[in-house]
Amino acid sequence: MASTSSSTMSSHPVVFTTQTPYALPSQKFMIPLDWKRYQLSQLINKALDLPKPIPFDFLVHGEILRTSLLEWRAENGIGEEDTLEIEYFESVMPPQRMSELPHEDWVSSVSCQIPQHFVTASYDGHLRLFDYSRNPLLDISVHQAPITSVCVLPSPLAETDSRILASSSHDLTACLTRISLGSEGPSASTVASLHLHTSPLSSISTDASGSHLLTSSWDGLIGVWDTSIPNDHQVHLDRGDDRKKRRKTAPENIKRKTPIAVLKSHTARVSKALFAAGEHAKGKAYSCGFDSTVRSWDVESGVCINTINVPERPMLNLAETPDGNILLGASTDRTVSIFDLRVSSLSSSTGIMMHSATPSCIATSESGKQQVVTGAYDGVARLWDLRSTKGAVTSFRVWDGMKVLAVDWVRDVVGIGGEGGMEVWRIDGGS
Amino acid sequence: MAVTGLGKVRNKRKQEEVEEVEKGPFVGAVDLEMQSEDEAEDEDQEGDDASDDGDVDEFPEIDAASDSEEESEEEEEEDTDDLNEEDTLDENSDADSDLHIFPKSKKVVSDITGQTKVVYPEIEPDYDSDSSTEDDPNRVGNIPMHWYDDLPHLGYNINGKRVLRPAKGDELDKFLQTVEDPNSWTTAFDKNAQMDKPLSAEELDIIRRLQAGENPDAEYDPYEPTIEWFTGKGKEEVMPLSSAPEPKRRWLPSKWEKQKIMKIVRAIRQGRIVGSKPTAADKKQQFYAIWNEPPSNQPPPLPAPKPKLPTNSESYNPPEEYLPTEEERKQWENTDPEDREGDYLPHKYPALRLVPAYDQFIKQRFNRQLDLYLAPRIQRVKLNVDPNSLLPKLPTPNSLRPFPNYKSLQFMHTKARVRCLSISPDGAWVASGDESGVISLWEVNVGREVKRWSLSSKVGAIEWCPRLDACFFVAGTEERLHFFIPPNISPAMLTMTQSTLAPPTLPPATQSSIKWISTSGATEDGPILTIELPSASGLSRQLTWHRKGDYLASVSSSETQGSVWMHQISRRHSQAPFKKIKGAVQMVLFHPTKPHFFVATQRYVRLYNLAEQKLLKTLMPGIKWISSMDVHPSGDHIIVGGYDRKLCWFDLELSEKPYKVLRYHSRAIRSLHFHPTYPLFASSSDDGSIQIFHARVYSDLMTDPLIVPLKILRGHDVQEGLGVLQIKWVNKQPWLVSAGADGSVSLWCS
Repeated sequence: MASTSSSTMSSHPVVFTTQTPYALPSQKFMIPLDWKRYQLSQLINKALDLPKPIPFDFLVHGEILRTSLLEWRAENGIGEEDTLEIEYFESVMPPQRMSELPHEDWVSSVSCQIPQHFVTASYDGHLRLFDYSRNPLLDISVHQAPITSVCVLPSPLAETDSRILASSSHDLTACLTRISLGSEGPSASTVASLHLHTSPLSSISTDASGSHLLTSSWDGLIGVWDTSIPNDHQVHLDRGDDRKKRRKTAPENIKRKTPIAVLKSHTARVSKALFAAGEHAKGKAYSCGFDSTVRSWDVESGVCINTINVPERPMLNLAETPDGNILLGASTDRTVSIFDLRVSSLSSSTGIMMHSATPSCIATSESGKQQVVTGAYDGVARLWDLRSTKGAVTSFRVWDGMKVLAVDWVRDVVGIGGEGGMEVWRIDGGS
Repeated sequence: MAVTGLGKVRNKRKQEEVEEVEKGPFVGAVDLEMQSEDEAEDEDQEGDDASDDGDVDEFPEIDAASDSEEESEEEEEEDTDDLNEEDTLDENSDADSDLHIFPKSKKVVSDITGQTKVVYPEIEPDYDSDSSTEDDPNRVGNIPMHWYDDLPHLGYNINGKRVLRPAKGDELDKFLQTVEDPNSWTTAFDKNAQMDKPLSAEELDIIRRLQAGENPDAEYDPYEPTIEWFTGKGKEEVMPLSSAPEPKRRWLPSKWEKQKIMKIVRAIRQGRIVGSKPTAADKKQQFYAIWNEPPSNQPPPLPAPKPKLPTNSESYNPPEEYLPTEEERKQWENTDPEDREGDYLPHKYPALRLVPAYDQFIKQRFNRQLDLYLAPRIQRVKLNVDPNSLLPKLPTPNSLRPFPNYKSLQFMHTKARVRCLSISPDGAWVASGDESGVISLWEVNVGREVKRWSLSSKVGAIEWCPRLDACFFVAGTEERLHFFIPPNISPAMLTMTQSTLAPPTLPPATQSSIKWISTSGATEDGPILTIELPSASGLSRQLTWHRKGDYLASVSSSETQGSVWMHQISRRHSQAPFKKIKGAVQMVLFHPTKPHFFVATQRYVRLYNLAEQKLLKTLMPGIKWISSMDVHPSGDHIIVGGYDRKLCWFDLELSEKPYKVLRYHSRAIRSLHFHPTYPLFASSSDDGSIQIFHARVYSDLMTDPLIVPLKILRGHDVQEGLGVLQIKWVNKQPWLVSAGADGSVSLWCS
């Protein structure tokens, strides 16, 4: 096939590399210039003589090939004689809708961190636990006000049935809820409430070990908490006129906790605070807010290390790739800014991903290093490849005209929460 | 005919000559001339007197031959001339032969050759010899000589000396003279000389002819031989006239014309040709006296300026320095004819005969035709101006970011149209009220409703208290103002708010018709405080807070005087600031920095000083019905919008007239709002659109505010003629929230 095409069309020397197990012998190929991804993928399948065809995507100079080689060469100004090094990897298959978990109210946050389970936080103040077969296992009324965020504390013992969920809410507190998925049936009890903020909380997140929590709030503060359950209340509620209400909502067995540190530097609402991922970034945190800044913190000392100012981009959400190299910030100007943390003294975004609606949430792939799912207010979730940010790799419409508010991605399962409840999608491939 | 004419002319000539002859002194001169002409004409016949006569006979023949081809009139003239000459020649010859006035020639045998030769006497070329200068010694001229009768002299000679009167004898002397002098009978009295002078031979001849009853002209021959002008061989006149009989068509009517006429006649009969109607002017001819109008007193039109004299450069052979160089020529050729300095280039020709025809001839003729057509000579090319270049230079909207440019989310009121909304001072919450009495509190960024209050009547206005230590908002309904506390506020703030709105110890009640009802112990689901406005005050159309959050002004829709109320929260007291207001109050506003108060009635905006209680200014926007107004955060500028689509920008430092009037909405303007921190303002309209403007105000007094249209936001549906009813900016962020008649409240993000 290659020989017939090359007779009519000029060709380009190319060397293929890969990190997948499907490696080609390293030799120079003359590839016709009008070939696109499909022909290249066919070539590799034929060359390897794979029993079942696997679609591949191709990276040229760190950019996914979406056009023909000729157009790509013209765009990038590569000479005809230069040997191109093309890396290929397995294509991401179009996502498939797996199941729906309808909710009465909006789902503000989802978590797939518990194996075989989904945790959703809803605006009616309930945390709900589902298993993969869509059975509602638990429905806990944790807060009187809408819950804005939920995270699952990684348990030190992997196989215990008891987990702690941390949820942040509009009622100015965050709560720790212990759930047990024992054989005698799931049970839950709220064990502690975190008292610091004077405005509704926007997010809560945990570090990799599950020993610390970060809460961010509309009042511009970030609270650092440990996850130990105190034996006694650390905050005293001494308001007589509130007693009746408090007694109803906050029983005595919920221990009131105070933060171990407060990170204070943001001038406006903090929309997300999270611990830095990766081994080398111990004790580091990032936060973003409506003051259009992304700040990195030394949690131990409670000092803001670096401030990245992105003018006129109030940040709605922040996410970090698991390797800790790239930070992604969704902002209200319909962009997701990319911050390459490997760049020393980073002061501005290194790239943007344009959306057609306000992006509200970002989930990075746990396994794949380069793929990101973002959800937006137009009800569309988009899958991006960080190597090629011009356009989304694929987008899938979750709801029509309803907002996507939360997205979480564990392995090949993507949980999407929003106005219409929760949906589970499956994304294959993507190495 | 020609012959008789000739004769007449000839007679005239003769008479003139007779008169000349009678004058006497000129005879010699005439002779001299004749002689010289004669000599000039016939050189070969010198001295041959006899041959002169033969010449006279031949002369007309030659002339006739030469002139025969010429036109008749010219011929006549020529003939008369020739004949005249002929006459003089004749006369000359006569004089020569008969009278010998001229000195006689002698035939002498030459000493040298031995031949006979004619010798004429020497002519002295002195002064007298010239006949033209020879003159009468008396120079007095032709005057009546009796003037000199009593004087001893007759006049003066050329030198001014007297000419003395000649001695005059008596009658006897005269008689004796006649006896003695045989020639005395041929003398006549010369008036000038006052003496008798002998008559010349010609004069005598004329007298003789007159006596004999002959023609006084000597050479007039009454029996001249006939000159055969047109007869004889070779003299036949080729006549253009033919004797062919006249053709019939000269008098027979034309068949084709008849057919043509019949065709027209038939058409007229069948009505295909309708004669033009006689116009009114034709029916009644307008006669008027052309002199009736008084003559105009205007000065006569100026004479045309004199054309400039041609210069050297216009010469066909100009000096070298006038000739253009090659570059000049090229430049001249490259410029448009309208832009050239002169309309020609100097050109050198070695000779005038080498000058070519005028190459602009046809063009000039064409231009004159254009003049006759009253068409302009210069063909002006239509101005090719880019319309964009005429627009004022405005900065591009991209350079003025951020401003809202897309709809981020939408919140729906399902039941009724949303009339009002307000955004909390921290920019986190939106309270929107609809006409079914539902107030929704929702998050700005997610659009999730967190609390809903249902009231009995429709909500006309909502306003958050600008205080930062307390958190509540006011909703105006029919005859009531309700105060609400949003949920999920910090305990400190809640306590502060509660103590503000429902203090445990009420301040002393004041004299007022307005009741303040606190419901402090009530649930969160109801208003914590209610102000009952006087009955029949109608829907609260507008609420506005003083910046400190203690005073609240409310405008009700009733047309009565008590439509504006000022409420003081701390004292729980309400008062009507105006006893009397002209016109229905549309809006009121507190000045952001000064104790001033804006009141917009239907046509005017009045600015009052609340501290001094007097009217400061009346602004005249020229709007028929003011719908909305907002004051710039600096307090020096206000914008006023009207139902007639106009938006007026007032600079309060300047006049009472608007600094700028903008009309860009296609329907009535409903709401205006300045952004508290960003240099932005927005206007919403019944056409369903929101327009965002950049409005930068300079503290420098000399610089005018810069107003740049940025963005038109569309997305609200028009329902029952109502579009976007209220817009509000989000504090601290360049975001806009708009409430539409379609029940949706939209957040527009940058």
